[in-house]
Amino acid sequence: MSSTRPAARAGTSTTPPGNGSDGAHRSVVLGPRDRLVGQLYIEGDLRVAGTVEGGLEVTGSVEIDGGGKVTGPVTARDRLVVGRDGSLRGDVRVARLVVQDGARFSGNVSMGKFVEAPPKPVEVVESEPVKAPEPVAELKPVTAPEPVKVKPPARPQQTRGKRR
Amino acid sequence: MDVQEAVAESTSVASADDNGDAKRDGQRKFTMGPNDSLEGKLVYDGHVHIDGHAEGEFRVTGNLDVASGATARISIEAANVTVKGIVEGAVNVKDKLTLGKNARLSGDIVVRRLQIEDGASLNGHVRMGDIEQHPSGG
Repeated sequence: MSSTRPAARAGTSTTPPGNGSDGAHRSVVLGPRDRLVGQLYIEGDLRVAGTVEGGLEVTGSVEIDGGGKVTGPVTARDRLVVGRDGSLRGDVRVARLVVQDGARFSGNVSMGKFVEAPPKPVEVVESEPVKAPEPVAELKPVTAPEPVKVKPPARPQQTRGKRR
Repeated sequence: MDVQEAVAESTSVASADDNGDAKRDGQRKFTMGPNDSLEGKLVYDGHVHIDGHAEGEFRVTGNLDVASGATARISIEAANVTVKGIVEGAVNVKDKLTLGKNARLSGDIVVRRLQIEDGASLNGHVRMGDIEQHPSGG
């Protein structure tokens, strides 16, 4: 089970047991009778059809629909969808945003790439560690390993490294 | 009679008014083409279609469309607004604001209904008329 389980009041589990594909893509559903008060961080997608009072932060997409109601800031690295039955009141920071006709929404919207430092420290951890694996830096005159059979007389050694 | 105070750089801006195209649903229509531009303040009784470039303040009793490829640095007041191009400025919509999939809007929004298609970009504050006074019955 994930360690970030906030004070959800409803006893229903938020993870559908069906997709136990850990690491690949998780999706969490808060149903119409579920209620969450607090902060929620999810690696994966989140669908809210219930009530959330607090902040949501998701590495995938958030969908608020089916009567879902969120009061609080929402951060989604991918997409936020506020469906026609959804209601959201809070500041939003997302890469993509869809608001369907009929949805209710109030708040500040900032869209764009996730490069500026967001308030949450937990999210910015992986900001493209540009680590070029050090390309060929040294040009060595590749001396051909020419098997020397004949022993040359005492002359200054002459390798084949001379090239223009 | 409507009040128009517009400083139009192009002479062909308001041409649609006299065409047959003008009266679609009883309302007149002010159409700007892709090469037209307008800087100033426009108060117009009817619909406005913006292609090309606009800058200033637009107060429209009907609908205002910003076409794909158009850029508008304007504050908008209209009944319905559809954005497919680029808009910078405050948007005040009596009924519905629609952002098409290539729309880019930066500015604060006051609106009653809002529809944003996937791909649109929005930066600003959104205030919807209903939600503020909704007593959250639940």
